[in-house]
Amino acid sequence: MSEYILRTHQLSKKYRNTLALADVNLSIKKGEIYGLIGQNGAGKSTLLRIVTGLAFPSSGSIELFGQDDSSMLSTAQKRTGAIIESPALFPNMTAYENVEVYRLQKGIPGRDGIKQTLELVGLGSTAKKKVKNFSLEMKQRLGLAIALLSDPEFLILDEPTNGLDPTGIIELRELIKKLNREKGLTILISSHILSELHQLASRYGIVHKGKILEEISAKELDEKCRQHLRIKVDQPAKGATILESTLSTPDFEVMPDGTIKLYSYLDEIRKVSKALTNSNLVIEHLSQNGDSLESYFSRIVGGDRI
Amino acid sequence: MNNQMLAEWFKLKRNKTFWVILFIVAGLSALLNYLVIIDWWQMGGTPFEQAGLSEFNALSTFTVPLLFNLIVGTLAGFFISNEFSFSGVIKNQILSGSKRSHIYMSKYLIFSIGAIIVTILIPLITAIIEIILLGYGEILNLSNVLYLGRAFGLFALQLLGYTAIILLLAIVTEDSGKTIIFSVLFTIVMLLVDIFPRPALLNAIYENSIFYQFSSVFNYTMTDGEVLKSIVIALMTMIIVCICGIAIFNKKEIK
Repeated sequence: MSEYILRTHQLSKKYRNTLALADVNLSIKKGEIYGLIGQNGAGKSTLLRIVTGLAFPSSGSIELFGQDDSSMLSTAQKRTGAIIESPALFPNMTAYENVEVYRLQKGIPGRDGIKQTLELVGLGSTAKKKVKNFSLEMKQRLGLAIALLSDPEFLILDEPTNGLDPTGIIELRELIKKLNREKGLTILISSHILSELHQLASRYGIVHKGKILEEISAKELDEKCRQHLRIKVDQPAKGATILESTLSTPDFEVMPDGTIKLYSYLDEIRKVSKALTNSNLVIEHLSQNGDSLESYFSRIVGGDRI
Repeated sequence: MNNQMLAEWFKLKRNKTFWVILFIVAGLSALLNYLVIIDWWQMGGTPFEQAGLSEFNALSTFTVPLLFNLIVGTLAGFFISNEFSFSGVIKNQILSGSKRSHIYMSKYLIFSIGAIIVTILIPLITAIIEIILLGYGEILNLSNVLYLGRAFGLFALQLLGYTAIILLLAIVTEDSGKTIIFSVLFTIVMLLVDIFPRPALLNAIYENSIFYQFSSVFNYTMTDGEVLKSIVIALMTMIIVCICGIAIFNKKEIK
């Protein structure tokens, strides 16, 4: 069995004269929480709509659960749960009835799962309330209940925090983490707000003007964004010893090119400089480096704000 | 497809428009039938009168294309088109992973059942009940029942062809208002074709269409050949339009 839940190959989508997606190659491994980040109109929803079968690519292909044949894709989609753009609900039906419609469409046996899923998303007490009387947040929760009803292996959430208050966002984040941790659910989640995905995604894809500019793991991202002093001295090994002995810090790394990344003493650059020069080391470079998350993404997309 | 059928049936049972139409048709039918049966309203020249069933004259109102089109078009608008625009719930149906052809056909079958209930069954049942209650039950002898069975059976078949067209319209327009307007316009065009002189080719097409059959099926006498022709026309319309509908739906991008 393929270790990849989703792979796209040179996926493109053109609307008349607008190229919404351009040669997108994306891969999501089993068990990952993949954060798709991009500005509004970057192509996130288009990509998710194609993956879920709501739209069709102009060129390229999709491989879902190892299936890339169009006739088998719909079978693979049965293993997927999704909310695309906004939750699609019957306003004149109750929350319970909305989930029941989806249960029937999916052919899920028994009604026990409906109550459990509604309770999971915090709608257990409002199951009999009509959706037209729901707040946007409750609708989002109900959309999530529908997406989770069939116990999917792959969950696709397009801007799921729209309409949620800060508490709702935290609860959703915890629920996603829990589903990923306890059920091994693979999750693809899109957002234009980077901070919402931070601490949640295990890997990120940065999409801009229809292109995936970078795929980066959470660890790599944290690494890139971690504030540090970049030190280049004539004798890196001696420099490392000085940091350990004189400044009593193990919080540094010696990079393959001999550069030292020091993660402490960020506000005491003079003290670091003095310690090194007192040991007769020649400082070739000493500066404070590291992006904030926002500025990192801003730099990747060429200065446009995310 | 069975799953989709069950889901569509569940939705139809909870569709407000369906129940509003059903009660309006039931009330209207009860009133018209009553007025006709007690001779307060004397309708003439109907196919039922020619069949010696003048007590059923009020039913001819419900076989007028403009009226049943309004009923079917409204149902299509609020049962089918709204799923594409207002609620957007068609997304969930696609996301369920069912084949689009199965989704389309389940919509067609359940929508058609709904249309047959409100345009044929309700008027017919209310007419029969009133005829029995008002003491005219003896007209429901075997030959008359056979005539009504044949006429409304064939009419239902033609209606299945018509619902296939309206479903296609509803899915293409994705808007309840547009569906109703276009279906009414479509019926008006068919009415004009019926009224005005037609060139030979158009005439041949029209006389072999469900629109001509809608009135022909109520003729008191029909040869076996005419019955067969009527069945073939309805089935061919249904099959061709459904195939076109599925092809369009398969290519349709869901917004």
